[in-house]
Amino acid sequence: MRLGRYELTLEPRPAVSAVYTVLTAVVAILLALALSSFLFLSADASLLGAYRAVFSYAFFNPRGILATVQRAIYLLFCTYAFLVPLRAGLWNIGLPGQVFAGALAAFAVPFVLRAQEAQTLALAPGLVILLMVAAAAAAGAMLGGFAGLLRARLQVNEILVTMMLNSILFWLVAYMIKEGGPFMGATAEGEGFTLPAPLTAPLLRGVPFTAALALGAAVLLDLLFAKTALGYRIRAFGENPAAARYGGISPVALSLLVFLLGGAFAGLAGYHAFTAVPGVYKIPGNYGFYGDLAFYGIISALIARGSAVGAVPIAVLFAGLSLGARFAQGALHLPFGVDYALLGLLMMTFIASHALYQFRLAWRRVPSEVLQPAPTELPEG
Amino acid sequence: MPLTLPADRAPTEPILAARGITKRFPGVLALDHVDFEVQAGEVHAVLGQNGAGKTTLMNILFGLVQPDEGALYLRGQRVHFRSPHDAIAQGIGMVHQTRRLVAAHTVLENIVLGHPRVRGFLNLRGARREVEALCNRYGFTVDLGARVWQLSEGERQWVEILKALYGGAKILILDEPTSVLTPPEVKTLLAGLQALVRDRGVTVLLVTHKLPVVMAASHRVTVFRSGSVVARLRTGEATEEILVQHMIGREVAFRTADRSTETGRPLLHVEQLSAFNDRGLLALRGVSFSLRAGEVLGVAGVTGNGQEELAQVLAGLRPATSGKVRFDDRDVTHLSPLERWRMGVGYIPAERIEVASIAAFSLVENTALNYHFDPAFTPRGLLDDAGLDQLTRRILSAYNVKAPHQYARARHLSGGNLQKLILGRVLSRRPRLLIAHLPTQGLDVEATAFVRAKLLDARAEGAAVLLISEDLDEILSLSDWVAPIYEGRFVAVLLREQADSETVGAMMAGLQKEAGAR
Repeated sequence: MRLGRYELTLEPRPAVSAVYTVLTAVVAILLALALSSFLFLSADASLLGAYRAVFSYAFFNPRGILATVQRAIYLLFCTYAFLVPLRAGLWNIGLPGQVFAGALAAFAVPFVLRAQEAQTLALAPGLVILLMVAAAAAAGAMLGGFAGLLRARLQVNEILVTMMLNSILFWLVAYMIKEGGPFMGATAEGEGFTLPAPLTAPLLRGVPFTAALALGAAVLLDLLFAKTALGYRIRAFGENPAAARYGGISPVALSLLVFLLGGAFAGLAGYHAFTAVPGVYKIPGNYGFYGDLAFYGIISALIARGSAVGAVPIAVLFAGLSLGARFAQGALHLPFGVDYALLGLLMMTFIASHALYQFRLAWRRVPSEVLQPAPTELPEG
Repeated sequence: MPLTLPADRAPTEPILAARGITKRFPGVLALDHVDFEVQAGEVHAVLGQNGAGKTTLMNILFGLVQPDEGALYLRGQRVHFRSPHDAIAQGIGMVHQTRRLVAAHTVLENIVLGHPRVRGFLNLRGARREVEALCNRYGFTVDLGARVWQLSEGERQWVEILKALYGGAKILILDEPTSVLTPPEVKTLLAGLQALVRDRGVTVLLVTHKLPVVMAASHRVTVFRSGSVVARLRTGEATEEILVQHMIGREVAFRTADRSTETGRPLLHVEQLSAFNDRGLLALRGVSFSLRAGEVLGVAGVTGNGQEELAQVLAGLRPATSGKVRFDDRDVTHLSPLERWRMGVGYIPAERIEVASIAAFSLVENTALNYHFDPAFTPRGLLDDAGLDQLTRRILSAYNVKAPHQYARARHLSGGNLQKLILGRVLSRRPRLLIAHLPTQGLDVEATAFVRAKLLDARAEGAAVLLISEDLDEILSLSDWVAPIYEGRFVAVLLREQADSETVGAMMAGLQKEAGAR
């Protein structure tokens, strides 16, 4: 665009400061909220009232904030499950399947130990909980590792495999918990059995111990990628697989490893969603909802540009706004699906902000039109 | 022979001119107030070393890159190219150094692809008539129905030229057009370009760092050095010596192998080694040789005769279908690349950007590509950032790598500097066997001399060197043994003293198959 002697151009940004990164994120959030005002037009309250309802429930209401924390932990595990393979250039679209596998494995532990009722518990509850966590992580890892192995050894596309495993696991859960299934609940209303109270995840002021796992993993993952030889290998493989192979990095071992690790995180998400959230403590009939929610892990990993710590505020925001909007939908008679619409808007503004993150608008002086023409012939030497 | 412009044509208004062009990339001043002009109907050579700014200026002329300062003039009119679309609309076409064709499509489909008139429905029959007419007019013979992957590099280049002409190009920019061509293909190309200029009034901009190409095919030449124009000459008034001096600012001496050194103990034995290529065809067919420490074996051949497969099998990146490799008295035929690095095998692949480096990584991280498995640089599984930083700085200074600093991205290095970095990185491991595949391809005179000297240093320090090259002069000046390769077999393994360029050249072309095998 030309304006007088100056010109407006879009050019690549050479280096980006941390302040600017945060600033683009904040602008993206504000823009999404501004756009969402269209969603609130039909509300029973003023525009400001609608925003207040969303935020006050998500971040200031004592019940709401706990729900936000719970959902954020879930989203964080899903984020890591996508993020680890992503750093190796591989796409783990199998989050729902791995979440379900983790959930089934977690509930299989009390089932096998015949500890569905508190009084029949033979082992110490702490030990059983530990077994459940381990089983969930292992099951997620196995499902992820299956896709990783197919990818590594036979070059089968990991996106297709993980996608199809999602469907298989979805129906496996249905088989396990619905009428006649082994994990069927006592009341048999299409739900799994309820976990006895001693086996539910311990809470500290309403926050389950999985919160510590999720936050610890964020720090450890970022350290892994920044400081360790293994993290370097994963990044190198992600940036240029041919160069990684040239440098002695084994594609088979690496693909398998990242999918094992990613799957384990998704398995933990499954453990968290169904054994650590008060009021759930079972695989509910609407478990498919958690599968859909798992995909927001993909978005938050992409927005955080592969940084696990960077994903923490994004997961909290996604969790809070989706819950707040859902609450406002009921309270103010907003249209159905306003929570997902809000998440969608956020997604779009975040992605749009990446353009401004990588490029900048610059004013350039248009060079003078009247330049002395250079001599046509200058034979030197 | 240098061409001369018709005597009756006095220099007129330049058809294309760039005035006061400045372009900065992060940490690099690529072009510094460059004035450049081209007369209509000439072959204008743009000469310079890697990183001199030639390609950047061409990208500006084609609208791919926007200058920070300066302006472009087409037939005296100020023009402004926001993108290649604008440049193409004004009759400028560019053929890039790397082919940009869809390999699975036919020649015709590739030619019409992206043409402004091809929107919505594709009228291939009509397009075919037009392209055929164009072919007749310019005297090309190309099978329009052939798939691009079936064509040779030379033919693909003609497809790109045809595509540019079909797009209405009157000014044709060719970036390093001869770099991937065999000598006969180069001849054909240059003759064809001259015909285009002479008979059709097309103007050609020929970007190259090869002096013979400049001398043989251009009317005038502009020489670039470090982002500035240092000379504008009529080719007829120039000599190769003058051009070299302009290009590098001084004279370059090439070192050759000093054959007085004692050779060491046998290090590498290769027996009847065979391997498939990526298309599943047997590309390496029973190669045998042995190599001692402190020796250079030069494998001479035209690319595509099994050299790449040989290098990859020795590096562990491609399985051998049969045969044996013994290194240091150990059977290594089935060892992984990692195990070979650890044993002291160093590999410099031909593909610097695709295989030997990671463009988005810093130079320090690129160094780590050969050190992430080294216990000395990974205490307790952590990467030793300080150690790698120091090592990288040592490599940068010892190998004259021009980089703003060690945390610059590898993608910002020019080809020659990247190759020096890779060479330094691999040699810093002090490999006992060095496999160097096309180590000087595409490098300028100075970098070539430097790389060759370093290979000889490695040999003097007792490394066994397998040098794979297309450049006969390079092979003959560095090697102790010369092995011409043709269709996956060594035609012979000759002592350097027995190898002269005629014999080896003939063997590379598949002649004299039976001559003195070792």
